Amino acid sequence: MNTTIVKQLILKDWHFLRGPIIGYLAGGAVALLLICTGSEGGFFAGLVLLITVLIAVGIHLAMTTVVGERKEQTLPFVMSLPISYMEYTTAKILANLLIFLIPWSAILLAALALFTIGNAGGIIPFMVLVVTYLFTAYTLLLAVAIVSESQSWAIGAMVFGNLFLQAFFYGITHDPGIASKMKGHVAVWSPTAVTILVVEIVLILLLLGGTFFFQARKKDFI
Amino acid sequence: MSALAVQFEGVGKTYPHFTLDDINLELPTGSIMGFIGANGAGKSTTLRILMGLVHQDRGAVHVLGCEMPAQQAVAKRDIGFVSEDMRLYGAATLAWHMDFIRSIFPSWDQAYAETLLKRFDLKAEQKLKKVSHGQRVKAALLLALARRPRLLVLDEPTTGLDPVARHEVLHALMEALTDERRTILFSSQNTLDVEQISDQITFIDRGRIIDSADKETFLERWRRLRLDVPPAVTLPSLPGVVETTSSGRLAVVTMNGYEPSMAEVYHAAGVTVQAVDSMTLEEIFVVNVHNRRERSVA
Repeated sequence: MNTTIVKQLILKDWHFLRGPIIGYLAGGAVALLLICTGSEGGFFAGLVLLITVLIAVGIHLAMTTVVGERKEQTLPFVMSLPISYMEYTTAKILANLLIFLIPWSAILLAALALFTIGNAGGIIPFMVLVVTYLFTAYTLLLAVAIVSESQSWAIGAMVFGNLFLQAFFYGITHDPGIASKMKGHVAVWSPTAVTILVVEIVLILLLLGGTFFFQARKKDFI
Repeated sequence: MSALAVQFEGVGKTYPHFTLDDINLELPTGSIMGFIGANGAGKSTTLRILMGLVHQDRGAVHVLGCEMPAQQAVAKRDIGFVSEDMRLYGAATLAWHMDFIRSIFPSWDQAYAETLLKRFDLKAEQKLKKVSHGQRVKAALLLALARRPRLLVLDEPTTGLDPVARHEVLHALMEALTDERRTILFSSQNTLDVEQISDQITFIDRGRIIDSADKETFLERWRRLRLDVPPAVTLPSLPGVVETTSSGRLAVVTMNGYEPSMAEVYHAAGVTVQAVDSMTLEEIFVVNVHNRRERSVA
C-alpha cells in the first residue's frame, strides 16, 4: 500500500470539501441549539435540521468525491497517478469516512454533552441510534457510489436510505423499551436498542467490506 | 534497462459491441510511436490497457519492465498520461495541481514546469474551470512532462486544439525527446501531427492492428502509380497491389511494397508508367483501412 499517495488523495478531497464541511458544522450547531431550547417545537425542528445536515453531508461527499470524479472526468487524472485501483478505493473510503466523521462525531458528541448537562440523558439512546442509522445510510450510499460509479444508482441508494429512515423512526419511537425511557434523566440502553446499534455497526462493516470485495473484481476503471 | 518500453503479446478485450483482438505491439525505448485509427478503432482501449486502467481478457502486457495490470502502480511512477477526455479539477488552480503532483513524484522538475508554464502561456494562479480546452490540454501536458517520465502516453492530445496550441504541444513533445531514454506513444486521428513527430507508425482499425512499421519504411513502401494501359493490354498482376482504379486507358495502382523493378514489369507488359507518386501518411492510412474493410466484407 502506497500510503503517501493515499494520504495525498485524502488531503486532496479534504481541500475541496473543507468549506462546505464548516457550513455543515454550523448547521449542526444550530440544530443542537434548537433541540436544547426545551420546547417540543424546538426539539423537533432541531431534530429535523440535524438529520437534514447529516444526510446532506453524506450526499455532498459521495456525489462530489466519487460520482463527481467520474462525471467531471477527473478520474483519468487520478488514475494516471502511481496508484492501484484498490489503493484508490482505500483513499476514497478513508477520505469519505474521515470527512463525514468530522461533522458526525462533532454533532454526536455535542448532543451527548448537552443532553447529559441538561439532565435529559433519556434521549441519548434514541439520538445515538438515529445518528448511527444516518451513518449506516451514508455508508450504503458511499458503497453504491464507489462500486457503481453511477449517479442513478447513488440516487437510488439515497432514496432507499431516506425512505427506510421513516420506518426506522416509527419502529424505535414505538418500541416500549426505547420510547418509554426517552423523557427520563438517565440513558437506559434496552436490549432492543443495543441490538439495533450492533446491527447498524455490523451493516457498516459489511458495506465497507463489500465495497472492497466488488472493487477487487472490477476490470474496467475508466 | 529493457530495450522495449512497451510490449503487447496477443492482447484482447471483448465488450458487447466491440472486440480488441490479438494486439501485438512493441515500442523500443527512446522511440515515438504514432498510433493512428478512426473513431472507435480501439486506440483508447489499447492505451487504457497499457496504463492498467482496463484489464485485458487475454494476452500479456509489459510496460517499462512491469507486468500490467498487476504492477501498474510501479509502472505509473514513470509514465506521464494525458488523454483527450482527461479533466483537471476546475475548482483548483494550476499551481495547486503542480503542488499536488510534486507531492507525489520526487522526479518533479520545478524549473522545467516553470519553463513550460511560460511557453504554454499558462497562468498558474488561474482556476482551471475558467480556461479554454487548449489551455486545459496544455496544463495536463505540463503536469505530465514536468514529472520527467520515462514513458509518455498521449491519447489524442491534440484533438480540439487550435493550430497555434497544436504547434506548441507538438513542439513540447519534440523537445521532450531530446532525452533519448524517453519513449512516447501518441494516438491521434490527425495523421499530420503523427507524421511530424513519430518515428514509428501503427494503424489500428476495428480493434485490430493492421500495419506497424517505422515511418520511413511506411513512406518508402507505399506508392501510387499512374499507368497508361493500351486497349489490348492486360494489366499484369503484381504482389502488393492494394487498389486499382481505371478510367479509359488511365489506371491508378496503389502499392504496398513498391520496388523500382515493378515499373519494368509493367513496361515489359506494354504498360507505360506515367508517374510514381509518394503518398502521405493520411493517404496510406485511408487506403489501408479501406482495403482491409473491403476484404473483410468479401
